[in-house]
Amino acid sequence: MTSTAANVLVPTTEPGRPRLAARGVVKRFGSTTALAGVDVDLGEEESLAVMGPSGSGKSTLLHVLAGILTPDAGTVTLRGRHVEGMSERERSLLRRGRFGFVFQHGQLLSELTALENVALAAMLDGEPRVQAEGLAAQWLGRLGLAGEQDRRPGEMSGGQAQRVAVARALVTRPDVVFADEPTGSLDQATGQDVMRVLVESTRAVGASLVVVTHDTGVASWCDRVVHVRDGLVVTA
Amino acid sequence: MNPVLSLAPRLQRAAGRDGRVTTALAVLAFAVTTALTTSVLAATLAFAERAEHPTTPFERDAGDTYVLLAVIATVLLVVPLLTLGGAAARLGVARRHERLAALRLLGATPREVLGLTVLETAGQGLVGAVLGSLLYGALLPVWTSVPFQERTFSAAELWVGPRVLGLVWLAVPLLAAVSGAGSLRQVVVPPLGVARRVRPPALRAARVVGAVVAFLAFVVVSTVREAFAAAAAGVLVGMLAVAFAAVNAVGPWLLALLGRRAVRRARTPAQLLAARRLLDDPRAVWRVVGGLALASFVAGVLAVVPALAQGPQDDPVVRDVLTGALLTLGIAFLLAAASAGIAQAASVLDRRRELSLARLAGVPVELFDAVRRREVLVPVLVASVGSAGLGLALMLPLFGFAVGAAPQGLVLLVASLAVGTGLVLAATESARPLLRRVLATPVVRAD
Repeated sequence: MTSTAANVLVPTTEPGRPRLAARGVVKRFGSTTALAGVDVDLGEEESLAVMGPSGSGKSTLLHVLAGILTPDAGTVTLRGRHVEGMSERERSLLRRGRFGFVFQHGQLLSELTALENVALAAMLDGEPRVQAEGLAAQWLGRLGLAGEQDRRPGEMSGGQAQRVAVARALVTRPDVVFADEPTGSLDQATGQDVMRVLVESTRAVGASLVVVTHDTGVASWCDRVVHVRDGLVVTA
Repeated sequence: MNPVLSLAPRLQRAAGRDGRVTTALAVLAFAVTTALTTSVLAATLAFAERAEHPTTPFERDAGDTYVLLAVIATVLLVVPLLTLGGAAARLGVARRHERLAALRLLGATPREVLGLTVLETAGQGLVGAVLGSLLYGALLPVWTSVPFQERTFSAAELWVGPRVLGLVWLAVPLLAAVSGAGSLRQVVVPPLGVARRVRPPALRAARVVGAVVAFLAFVVVSTVREAFAAAAAGVLVGMLAVAFAAVNAVGPWLLALLGRRAVRRARTPAQLLAARRLLDDPRAVWRVVGGLALASFVAGVLAVVPALAQGPQDDPVVRDVLTGALLTLGIAFLLAAASAGIAQAASVLDRRRELSLARLAGVPVELFDAVRRREVLVPVLVASVGSAGLGLALMLPLFGFAVGAAPQGLVLLVASLAVGTGLVLAATESARPLLRRVLATPVVRAD
């Protein structure tokens, strides 16, 4: 894979150190405290479910861990490298190259085909188009979408679109995949199928996984579950 | 009043900042449409008045020709004017679809949903028409500084009067309401019918066959125009209309062809996205630049005019035809710029979720900027330079050598195209701050 700034930002694995760690993270929105001093670790190739009621701060935690939001206090480290101290550009590069994302819906670009949506992530990470489309085709094949690669998101079912999103998140072989309510728009059976694909594929590339959900069925796919309430991790 | 329709002002207020931006853009577009339509109408009426009551022998002899030319210019600008008005009515269509689909789920009938949209767009049209009339008044000093028939128009000559203004205030809201209602088909039929983007149907190559036949007919009729004797002018104008129709038919097909080629050849994310957007809906892209294509085609044809005249500096008809052509081209560029700017702003607002999520996933904002420039530049160049070149190419077999001897028209044409293209690109940059504001607003809840 072509070298990018994101590739050189982060040191390699060290035994015993969590891949991703948050310490004393505080995040406020005006007078509302969304996170009130959160500590959480994510191990190598570990999958972690973050559960909690609406307004508990679980999505804010995901955004802080992923470098989308910067904490008002506390630290977030990826393999020892402080994420919260990075510039906006560095965090963008980190998200593009080292992290993968699966949101509830709507993250695929509507004018691109499934293949192009997945390939775009690899192209943005420096792959030439031909190689990027080759990788994308491999991923779509692995996720059971070999015959769907020329279809657009609007022409696919919700489950198929989420599988494309999973392929897009994994095509750059990220360190961590963040999934925010990845089955929130799907029926029970399709949701379980998407979770199986997400967990198995993430494990297959050696990535760690953070899943934000309110669904115990979804959380049961993960190695570990933490509960967030009133901006604090209450069980681990 | 119907309880759903009575929600209209509250829904408008509840739409927040995006809603206000959309409304402001729509009103601005209706205002520009009204101001320019009224100005063009005023000029045509003023030429007709001069032809009816000439004050000089020149006005008496050439009056009817000027009226005919003014009518041609008006016809040329009808398409881009309607396009801008239509674009304004369709602004924020995705947001409106979501809101109205929610109302349908709550039990509002299709007729009530339709009524809400008609109220909303007609209201915007009316405010735009009133503001546009003020803008028309403000533009009068500009138009009165341009000499035609060896004297400038007075403000009184270009004042259309309260009756025409009243008609405009009626027509613009009506057209806005019709366009707005037309954009609602997907949401009115099924309650869950929020617009889904699917592959558009391919454009048929028959468009090109028709266009080629029309152009060949134009060339043949132009060459043997003497055979039509007294009706030659009428036949030529008719053939010109056929040629316009041909340009309009072939334009979207050509853009789709270019889009397909660009998709295959794209090497970078920006190239791929811009090409896909062009291919996604070439008809919509052509609606933005179609008027520009027609005006550029005419400007290309008229670029040979100085070469045809004996002593072009002294011939008032030649000078006025060139002035009129440049004004028409200038207005067409202004309309294309407004349409492109509004289309880009609407695209940012309609795609806010997908753009924001892509940004969260690390897609650089500079990529969206590059895509915006690319997706506008290619159609504008095809429409303006391509059509002007086509117009010129049609004339060159007849007057080729003369153009070399008197290249003023050609120089003016090239300069106008360069300035106009820059203007359109500048207008699309107005979406830049909007994009950044949209990306700065979280789209995923922070619970």
